[in-house]
Amino acid sequence: MITRFLTDVSVKFNPFSPRSKSARLFLSLIPPTARSDGMKIESKMLPRTSKEPATLDVKFKDGKEMKIDVEKMRITEVMEVVDRHSRQLARKEELLGN
Amino acid sequence: MPPRIRLRPRALCTHTSPSQTAFSLRASYASLATAPSIEPLPATPHILRPAPPILRYPPTQPPSHKPADVRKSQLHRQYQSLLRSSPLILLFQHNNIKAVEWMSLRRELAAALAKVDAERAKDGSPELIGEAIRLQVLQTNIFSSALRVVEFFHPEEAATVQTPHPNPDTTNTAEDGHFTHGLSRRAWEVASNKKLKSELETLLTGPMAVVAFPSVAPQYLKAVLSTLAPSPDFPAPKRKVNPAYHEAEVQAGLSKLMLLGARVEGRVFDLEATKWVGGIDGGIDGLRAQLVAMLQGVGGSLASTLEGASRSLYFTIEGRRVDMEEKENPKMDGEKKDE
Repeated sequence: MITRFLTDVSVKFNPFSPRSKSARLFLSLIPPTARSDGMKIESKMLPRTSKEPATLDVKFKDGKEMKIDVEKMRITEVMEVVDRHSRQLARKEELLGN
Repeated sequence: MPPRIRLRPRALCTHTSPSQTAFSLRASYASLATAPSIEPLPATPHILRPAPPILRYPPTQPPSHKPADVRKSQLHRQYQSLLRSSPLILLFQHNNIKAVEWMSLRRELAAALAKVDAERAKDGSPELIGEAIRLQVLQTNIFSSALRVVEFFHPEEAATVQTPHPNPDTTNTAEDGHFTHGLSRRAWEVASNKKLKSELETLLTGPMAVVAFPSVAPQYLKAVLSTLAPSPDFPAPKRKVNPAYHEAEVQAGLSKLMLLGARVEGRVFDLEATKWVGGIDGGIDGLRAQLVAMLQGVGGSLASTLEGASRSLYFTIEGRRVDMEEKENPKMDGEKKDE
């Protein structure tokens, strides 16, 4: 997954719900140095009894915000959605010659 | 003259297999056949049964269903023993923690536990388990498989049904149903039943780490929680008290470590319930003291309640007696006055 262009990630999930799997796996895909490089990562854990759906909000460097419905998506699909925008940003950056 | 031996072919047939019968019949015709050669015939059933096999494995290492020399099998066995031997297990998710960060986290944990050990040693409590509590990274899928074996495979119950006699003639293959260890084929069959669902299974995805306690000791749990998962209830040590805890590496590692839940004596607890366990003052002794105090209070009030009825009866009767005496006495007084 391309994480260079992410500035903000906030995750909320109930670990006891089987649908929160991709939210948790998303957190495990973030590289070890991301936090020290300025990415803001917030993770909130819900109590076991809560029925609230898992949420994943992502912000990109160009200001685009994305609310991803992680309840119904597999982790590969989540990665695809995030990467689609990241690749556009990467192309723009390349064309600007940086 | 050769000895004359009576042979009843029919009787022999019941004891032996057809080929054996043919042999014995031939022997009866042969002039060289002697009594000793035929005499063991009544004992043939014993001879025909195969001798009990020699054990070709050490008694502590019965043959396993999956190849025993593979790392996976050994991890499986190790996780089973971890699950069986530790009543309190904290489950963490770790997100790409670097080796240096692991190292510093472990160092801080060991320091915090050593402090608790020192405190308890001063109090003179016998149980010092600080050194046995470690932060361990797991192979998630092997751990969940081991958990299934531990939760659903109970050979003690099944053994009484399947093997009524104490000395089953076991073979040396792993397929034998008599083996009841965790790596046996039966354990594997039970654990691979998809209909059985364990509570913890939803938790076991992604990278997992575990802190296992050899006994439920809230004091140690408190130390671990305030080190690895600081929260308002379990504040992290202050910078003045423990400057090493506030190093960049430790803090970076902490931000990537998430406490998911706990397994306490076979039951699954979430974050809040885990904190509640950690918040029990004085551990099991504290709980006992609370219970004793409560029971004493109950006993006292119960005694006074039970006493109350008889006391009120006593007071009533006593009052009546005094009353009657007073009624009698004025007469006496009156008589005295009359005199």
